[in-house]
Amino acid sequence: MYKYDAVDKTIVSDRVEQFRGQVSRHLSGELSATDLAPLRLRNGLYMQIHAHMLRVSIPYGLVSSEQMRALAQVSRQYDKGYGHFTTRQNIQFNWPELADVPDILQDLSNVEMHAIQTSGNCIRNISSDHYAGVATDEIVDPRPYCEIIRQWSTLHPEFYWLPRKFKIAVTGATEDRAAVKFHDIGLEVVLNNAKQVGFRVYVGGGLGRTPVIGKVIKEFLPREDILSYCEAILRVYNLHGRRDNKYKARIKILVNAMGIDDFRDEVDAEWSHFKDGELKLHDIDFETMQAFFPKPAYDDLEAGDDRIAKWRDLDNRFKAWYDNNTVEHIQPGYRIVNISLKEHGVAPGDVTDAQMDAIAVIAEQYSFAEIRVTHEQNLVLADIREQDLLEVWKALDAERLATPNIGSVNDMICCPGLDFCSLANASSISVAKQINEKFDDFEKLYDIGEVKLKMSGCMNACGHHHVGHIGILGVDKKGEEWYQLTVGGDATNNAALGTHLGKAIAKDKVSDAIGDILDVYKDMRTGDERLLDTFRRVGIDPFKEKVYAEDV
Amino acid sequence: MSTTKTVANRAIKARSKGTPDRIQTDIFNAQAIIDQKIVENTIHHVAETEELSIADLPQGDISVPMNLWLDHKAELKIRDGVVAVQIAADEFPEDFSDEYSEIASIVLPMVSHVDGRSYSHAYKLRTRFNYKGEIRAIGDVKYDQLGFLSRSGCNAFELPEGESLETALKAFTEMSDVYQPSADGGALIFSRRRATH
Repeated sequence: MYKYDAVDKTIVSDRVEQFRGQVSRHLSGELSATDLAPLRLRNGLYMQIHAHMLRVSIPYGLVSSEQMRALAQVSRQYDKGYGHFTTRQNIQFNWPELADVPDILQDLSNVEMHAIQTSGNCIRNISSDHYAGVATDEIVDPRPYCEIIRQWSTLHPEFYWLPRKFKIAVTGATEDRAAVKFHDIGLEVVLNNAKQVGFRVYVGGGLGRTPVIGKVIKEFLPREDILSYCEAILRVYNLHGRRDNKYKARIKILVNAMGIDDFRDEVDAEWSHFKDGELKLHDIDFETMQAFFPKPAYDDLEAGDDRIAKWRDLDNRFKAWYDNNTVEHIQPGYRIVNISLKEHGVAPGDVTDAQMDAIAVIAEQYSFAEIRVTHEQNLVLADIREQDLLEVWKALDAERLATPNIGSVNDMICCPGLDFCSLANASSISVAKQINEKFDDFEKLYDIGEVKLKMSGCMNACGHHHVGHIGILGVDKKGEEWYQLTVGGDATNNAALGTHLGKAIAKDKVSDAIGDILDVYKDMRTGDERLLDTFRRVGIDPFKEKVYAEDV
Repeated sequence: MSTTKTVANRAIKARSKGTPDRIQTDIFNAQAIIDQKIVENTIHHVAETEELSIADLPQGDISVPMNLWLDHKAELKIRDGVVAVQIAADEFPEDFSDEYSEIASIVLPMVSHVDGRSYSHAYKLRTRFNYKGEIRAIGDVKYDQLGFLSRSGCNAFELPEGESLETALKAFTEMSDVYQPSADGGALIFSRRRATH
């Protein structure tokens, strides 16, 4: 993974001292809470209902065992012994004291981590494919491009006070696991006829209050131009994005107001001034960066392992885990292991300090000391030898990290909701528990197959409900928590926003409604259809009829 | 016939005045930071109102709203003292770019420091229009904005009353390295690394 050089170290450590100064001026009364707010946000520090929340950046979701241990230590020393992995592949701590935060950031800088631009109206953490480098459908490894964009966008002086937050994602595979069409800028690797690497560029996608699927602004952007082209988009947005209404300030609103063609013309006109200037990248830049993400020192193995095959037959629990939580690897004899952070009764994405330490050890023993964070709030051990799967499973199971539910209804994405977040209208975690309790029969879950269930506690959509195969949105109706359901959303290549099912549902009826939706699916599915496929074939009406049948 | 009409209409299209993005009252500060030194300030910044006329201007060094400059540049050019021109967040440097050589100072009034448009204005003034004169940020500009404003091309700053200019000088040395070029002539990190290979 990327290793800091002297420049990176200087920037991160200067930044820690700068923030230490800001906090100290605030605590001595020199800097008002109002003036501190945007500064602390740009260091990842929010003010929530009960306390501050610190969001630490995990660039494109890649974290080493050493870093994972440091995160565990932060949670132990400065927080309540747990952390929360987010849909932007970051981690949040819910209880730090303001005065401790400079020390936390200093501790993190010792393991090459920071919280720069994890919040605020600026360019946020670059997100990517959690199977980068090991996916069987990969065209080009996206991580070097992510790191190049991360460095360019870090503390960019001109784009630090944008109209609104700005998110960039990169995918290098044919199957989009990074939801690039739902980002302010989405970059999708394409090869041209000469096999040169470039990107199809999407702009103006996003979720939140006004969900929009990104539009293609450029069919093929040569890779050497990614920084200058992003800069042109950012400058047009910085100058023309709305600032009078925060709900209309994202770039998607500007792109829709101008129309994609006029927006493209404006960006091209801006780009023409500096396209071939200092921001142009050279082949050596990509090669240097790619060297930080080498192919691990894999053993020369045959695909398949007799002992593991035998254990799959012998042990139903192991088989369920193998079938659901592991994925085919590009290297023969290896598999990708997903660590489920959706254990029954635990808030999705939460991990304890002890679990983080255990994951660090397992990764060191079996997976080249690297872990990835997924945008579905799970973790990934990317390089596990098939012959080690039984031991890895046992080690994960001992830490309650082997719930065999990846991709199922139980593997839901969920924002912190009303339990922590000052924006939320409704709780998410308790509804997640309700759903977990209703669907606790794993055999039935496996029969239902892949269902992306995504839940947000308010229309800001941190839980990405618009793109859930089933989406749940918490709303406030006269002080009561109600839930709106959608069906048919999709964050991947055939991007779609979910269709509204009907009027909002009472809190205690949410899991029943989901049960109804799944019953309709089971009745109507043909062949290997997933819920999403059945919905696309039959439409919303059969689901609606069943869920609201009692009302008639 | 109709084409001519459209063009004529566009040419006389009224420029908006006194928007919320313009400073609402005149600003005068006793001191400024120029080229990282604290100096006595002489410039009085005139706020834009719908009624502002050239007869209302005070004596001495002033900065005027871009609209007043565009309407009265002949009179303003023969005035004694400094006449700086303001570019508000919702205006564009392109609007009078052919006149930069005659202007000693351009003022970027910031109604709110969270509005980043002035950073792009400063960047364009330096890199695209090759403006060599003073670029001065005024209004809601404090210590914690000076570093990035400076990188984007501003070299003069006036802070609101009550802000310590001495303390704010630290802003220019807080960050000792950068990743990307801006108006400060910095190189892209990757081209620096290229040079060492």
